[in-house]
Amino acid sequence: MKKPLLMCFLFLTLILGACGGGSLEGETVSITGALIGEDQNGFRENIKAIEEATGIIVTYQGSDNFEQEIQIQMESGDTPDFALFPQPGGVVDAANRGYLTPLADLDIDLEEYQNNFSSYLVGLGTVDGVIYGGANAANLKSIVWYQPAEFEARGYSVPATWDEMIALADQIVADGMNPFCFGMYSNGASGWLATDWMEDIMLRTGDGVDSYDKWVTNELKFSDPIVKNAATLLSTIMHTEGYVVGGTDAIVSTYFGNAQDPMFSKDANGNPGCFMHRQASFITSFWPESAQGQAGVETTVFPFPSVDASLPAAALGGGDMWAAFNDREATKVVAEYLLSADFHAPAAQMPNNARMSAHTGFDQTLYSNDLYRVMGETISAALSANSFRFDASDLMPPEVGGGSFWKEMMNLAVNGPGYIDEALANIDTSWP
Amino acid sequence: MKNNTQQEKLLRFGISSLALGIFPLIWFLSQAILFRELTEQLTRNIVVLIAIPFGSIFIFLLFYGMNKLIDFAPKDARESLEARMFVGPGIFMILLFLFYPAVRTFYLSFKDRFSQEFVGLENYRWAFTDTEMVVTIRNQVLWLIFVVFFTVFIGLVFAWLTDRLNKGESFFKSIIFMPMAISAVGATAIFKFIYEYRPTPLTQIGIINGIRVSKGEACYNNRIIEGELKGYDDPSCLEAVGWLQQRDLSALPIANQLQGTGLFGDILVNLPVSTFLLMAIMIWMYTGFAAVVLSAAIKAIPTEIMEAGQIDGASELKVFRSIIIPYIKSTIVVVSTYMVVTVLKAFDIIYVSTRGDLETNLLAVKMLDEFSKYRNFGRSSVVAVLIFVCVLPVIIGSALRERDNANE
Repeated sequence: MKKPLLMCFLFLTLILGACGGGSLEGETVSITGALIGEDQNGFRENIKAIEEATGIIVTYQGSDNFEQEIQIQMESGDTPDFALFPQPGGVVDAANRGYLTPLADLDIDLEEYQNNFSSYLVGLGTVDGVIYGGANAANLKSIVWYQPAEFEARGYSVPATWDEMIALADQIVADGMNPFCFGMYSNGASGWLATDWMEDIMLRTGDGVDSYDKWVTNELKFSDPIVKNAATLLSTIMHTEGYVVGGTDAIVSTYFGNAQDPMFSKDANGNPGCFMHRQASFITSFWPESAQGQAGVETTVFPFPSVDASLPAAALGGGDMWAAFNDREATKVVAEYLLSADFHAPAAQMPNNARMSAHTGFDQTLYSNDLYRVMGETISAALSANSFRFDASDLMPPEVGGGSFWKEMMNLAVNGPGYIDEALANIDTSWP
Repeated sequence: MKNNTQQEKLLRFGISSLALGIFPLIWFLSQAILFRELTEQLTRNIVVLIAIPFGSIFIFLLFYGMNKLIDFAPKDARESLEARMFVGPGIFMILLFLFYPAVRTFYLSFKDRFSQEFVGLENYRWAFTDTEMVVTIRNQVLWLIFVVFFTVFIGLVFAWLTDRLNKGESFFKSIIFMPMAISAVGATAIFKFIYEYRPTPLTQIGIINGIRVSKGEACYNNRIIEGELKGYDDPSCLEAVGWLQQRDLSALPIANQLQGTGLFGDILVNLPVSTFLLMAIMIWMYTGFAAVVLSAAIKAIPTEIMEAGQIDGASELKVFRSIIIPYIKSTIVVVSTYMVVTVLKAFDIIYVSTRGDLETNLLAVKMLDEFSKYRNFGRSSVVAVLIFVCVLPVIIGSALRERDNANE
């Protein structure tokens, strides 16, 4: 009986001794996040550079169930070193509950960080004046996908304003086709595409960025005329006969990843199913195989048209934000790398990368493709001009931004323009 | 003499509390503290490696120590103490991992979203007034009624019919039992392909929509065909339908026929199509199970009784109703009980298919959403309590039946 016990303790002391070394060589730092597939490959490429430079073994594990898993890990105290939250709201929530380590404790130069990533982005990961979140990459949502060749063949020109877009849509309907692709079904998150439309319109109406910021904090209620106007404009797209291919039934039933497919499928007369598809930059990874690799060539984007001409150009986007759970030496070193200007460089050079660096000092020429270069420059310029805004639904309380706002947009699509007032009132009541 | 027994009682009490209470407690705590420290010091793989031998040694030590302590007890008390010694750790584990969380969930259901302030019955008020919660409860009730009924009914009919077969019985039974071998996630994935929807100009890859579209004329959405504007409300064309997104029948042509046909028609128009289509997955999965169990029960009916019935001139249906059903009643109740509990736990089908969107939610998914999506522990606990309250009568009922059976 005694011998095996003794052996076990010997074994233990050996292991404990081995862990107490001084160099960071061979230490492991774990990162978990919601990036999967192509994005995960890109992120892993990025952290390889850290491994080579420091000898720290950095692992990234993505999961499409990340948000639930990190909740459970935080509750049970079994956290990774870093979590790459898909939305800054996750950072704020975790910080409020006391799970995170402030960036100041990681020896980050906060002033430099603010200069590099804009005070708006930094502010999203700040709780009570303490900075917890590290900005990383962003994507651009204020874009409309279209096929220049199809436009040219029919003499359509790219609309620069909302009125031009509506005029173009009417023209396309008159020519017997459908202007828009619109599908917002998404398991458990159905409706987010319509909230994106609302946000893009909100950024371009009322007082622009100012009213947008007030709207995010519910200082500006959903029942406010500015929001109602935005919902009415959206309803024009969703409910005007012939605007959306398949009608309202298609809007609520089509999986967002399939929504653009009609654009790539031509009927007997050679007409595509739709001409315009407003969707974020990451959608290219959902494209049908035949269209893959054609982003920026056959199918490219024009910026979301301006609605109120007196407002400056704005950009809506999303992006992830990391946060650290401890202040080990290795964690500090990795944190510094995550915020460096060329952290995103390896991923940017990958052909299917749709994530743009949120570092304003990032070398934009590194992107593999003109399309991403333009988007990267747009994000960078908007960040510097303080006209870049995050997805509002991601910043609202989860009951609204991940609940009632989505649900009421689905109901609005089904029930038609007469339902706008009720939808907005319902969202207001659900605000906690 | 009297003094002696009292002393003996005291001794017995002391030793039993030492052996069954204090010693296991120290044993448990020391282990918990050791591994708590270890998880902070070592990586998980090593902790797992250590846990396997250490766990076994600890268990050995536990029983060894308890046994040694019991040896000090008076001889006549040892036997009962030893019995308790073997049951004790099991009961302790059940209390710790089942009973305690249940009580705590009930307690948390009266607290706010962060489990800090008491909010009284606020969470319960929410559970029965929130529109989405009401729909979820409605769905759960529909699932309980229809899934349990159809599983047992189809299973019973199938069991009865295969029993009449001269040959091939086992073949047909294994065919209908097959879906049980597929996980709920796999089965749902299969059915998702059956219900799949694509917007109009694309080829339909879902079986139902494929058949639907191929039957009518090709559909156009506001296309001008031979100088005529065709919309998808054109009567000659059958539009593909997003089956799992239909909250009622209004998108289907049949709705027009039902409109204004009185109360029954109105109810039917509001039939939650998607919910019923999701129920079909579970019915498909569990019918085979019900059929096999019920078939075994039918087999156990003595042939004399059946023959006696037939000689007395009873029809097949009469034999089924008056002999088979009463004879296998207890099996039907057991299968139904099992199905009720399974339906209340139903989670994977919804989680994989619609994730509760568009009024298809069930309580188990709602509980998880409130916990991890909206991070409202109070509400999540209320949903858990609701599920628990629904399961409770079923469990108590089956426990009582077990006891009655044992008494007989």
